[in-house]
Amino acid sequence: MSLMKPDMKMDESFYKIEEIRHLTGETFSLKLPKARFAFQAGQHISLGIVGGNQSREYSIYSGVNDDHLEVLIKEVEQGYFTPRLRKLRPGNMVEVHGPFGKFGMEPEHAATGKFVFIASGTGIAPFRSIVHTFPEIDYQLIHGVRYSKEAYDRNEYASDRYTLCTSRDKNGDYHGRLTGYLKSCNFAPDTQFDLCGNSEMIFDALEILKRKGFDRDQIHCEVYF
Amino acid sequence: MIPNKKKTVAFKTLGCRLNQYETDALVTDFSEAGYDLVDTNSSPDVVIVNTCTVTNQSDQKSRTVISQAARKTKNAVVVVTGCMANNFKEKLESQENITFVVENSRKSSILALVDAHFSGEILHPDKLPQDVFRYEPVRKSLHTRSAVKIQDGCDNFCTFCIIPMVRGRAVSRPVADVLESVRKTIGNGFKEIVITGVNIGRYQDGESRFEDLLAKILEVPGDFRVRISSLEPDGFGDDFVQLFANPKLMPHLHLCLQSGSEKTLLRMRRMYNVEQFRKTINRFRAVYSDFNFTTDIIVGFPGETDDEFQQTLDAVNEFKFSHIHTFKYSVRKGTRAERLENHIHEKVKNARSLLVRELSVGNKMNYFKSFIGQTENVLIEKITQGIANGYGQHYIPVRFKVSGEMKNTVHSVTLTEIRGTDEEMYLFGEISN
Repeated sequence: MSLMKPDMKMDESFYKIEEIRHLTGETFSLKLPKARFAFQAGQHISLGIVGGNQSREYSIYSGVNDDHLEVLIKEVEQGYFTPRLRKLRPGNMVEVHGPFGKFGMEPEHAATGKFVFIASGTGIAPFRSIVHTFPEIDYQLIHGVRYSKEAYDRNEYASDRYTLCTSRDKNGDYHGRLTGYLKSCNFAPDTQFDLCGNSEMIFDALEILKRKGFDRDQIHCEVYF
Repeated sequence: MIPNKKKTVAFKTLGCRLNQYETDALVTDFSEAGYDLVDTNSSPDVVIVNTCTVTNQSDQKSRTVISQAARKTKNAVVVVTGCMANNFKEKLESQENITFVVENSRKSSILALVDAHFSGEILHPDKLPQDVFRYEPVRKSLHTRSAVKIQDGCDNFCTFCIIPMVRGRAVSRPVADVLESVRKTIGNGFKEIVITGVNIGRYQDGESRFEDLLAKILEVPGDFRVRISSLEPDGFGDDFVQLFANPKLMPHLHLCLQSGSEKTLLRMRRMYNVEQFRKTINRFRAVYSDFNFTTDIIVGFPGETDDEFQQTLDAVNEFKFSHIHTFKYSVRKGTRAERLENHIHEKVKNARSLLVRELSVGNKMNYFKSFIGQTENVLIEKITQGIANGYGQHYIPVRFKVSGEMKNTVHSVTLTEIRGTDEEMYLFGEISN
């Protein structure tokens, strides 16, 4: 008897793009068939273009039980990979490996915990996955973006749970950086914090939360670069 | 008729303990199949180079060893395996001085490949079975202690690390197989086993986690001691700490800190933070005050500022590691860190590396001093001109005078003085049993 996990067949990692949702001029989501692997809400995958020689990591944007596996992508203007992803069309194939990572939500925690999700830009992806997977979860989502149009799928979150911080226009709930808003907030002592987004936001938010007296064990981070 | 001459095989191994274990297992395979073990200067019929690719330096060393082995043994079958064989497979396959390139997952079947070659069969390495746990327990080792492999692969995907790409996803060996391997290894005469894998802290076989497996290993009857190879510093419970009360389990852990900076650890995408690391160290030392911690540190990771590096020095001072493997960060193609900004100049990396090493030597000296007058149980690994070399239970190197052949035996030694310097520092003592 082989002691190894069975080899993954090549085609099991290939997914045909079913739909592309354009959320802003730069940001879009790829909707793929339902994941062929079990994952925990909050984890990420590696995504490659079939025939290409590179891949990148993306947090899963869809819930564990959703009908589609979805990822949220922002095109980097001078980048190598995202402009190529941008050119893909429904019917094109991508290669998906994963899931990866320890960032995420376990069902027993989701049922009992009190959470503050702090996201910058597309760093909202794992939190949408969590909210889709655990609709009853007790959470507050603080989303920092430049413009209010980047409030991706905002209507999916209850308005009293979602706070939009916009640094370049005044159409958010708070005008300024997410970290500025965070400084003004009060949270219950037993709150768990999950942070996802660019490294500078995470470093700053981490310091703010530590200064507010929260233990490092209450703060969980997923850094986008 | 001229009788068939016994075939000879030579091995060259680079890199980690897991590679060393896999070589030892191959040595066992070839010995039992009737091959004589020789060195590469003795014109062997087969040369097996078990490579490493964890850093640029490892690649360079591996390339050099392959070239030297092939040059010295012009008519030999040259087999290249190990992580470099995965990372640079096509390039290595195109080299005329290499007969076979065998990926890690097929490494355990190299004997079958070589035998087929000498029998005139055409067998491509890609047709060998894939099984990362197929290795037989080590019988004829190049070492006194033997590793037991419990796990392979890693799912952590730290941004600097190529290992998940070359060793694959994490897989754990079933508990029953591990215990059988432990029994056989002890039965083969080893007094010390080292629990080995790529990321052994993530061991999971059904409901059995790493500490559950370790508890079962410690229950195996016999006079042996257990060490744990390099460990990621996350996910320990109190049960794990308590296991070290068992005299079979040696009071030493190589816990990989990598950096003392919260920001650098986040950029590395490590699974812990400095505070969690501190709690782990303190939890152990509250119970076992002389517990030995060693570690790995990467200096010059992209974006590492002077302040962040200072935090690493502070951590090294605070945690008092008795030994540090210091690595200067080097780009691994295909990793996330390759694309990070603010790569650090080599000169800065050199300077930082030197500072860590200086601190490390000071810490080692202080740790060793604390053992003068104490007694360690030392497993003798070799004896040179009447001086025995071995390690005490805390994994400190000890030398002492002996008479007669006492290799692979454990002796109580009273430690009297520190000798040697820097990396060669050791404790000298007198046998007291």
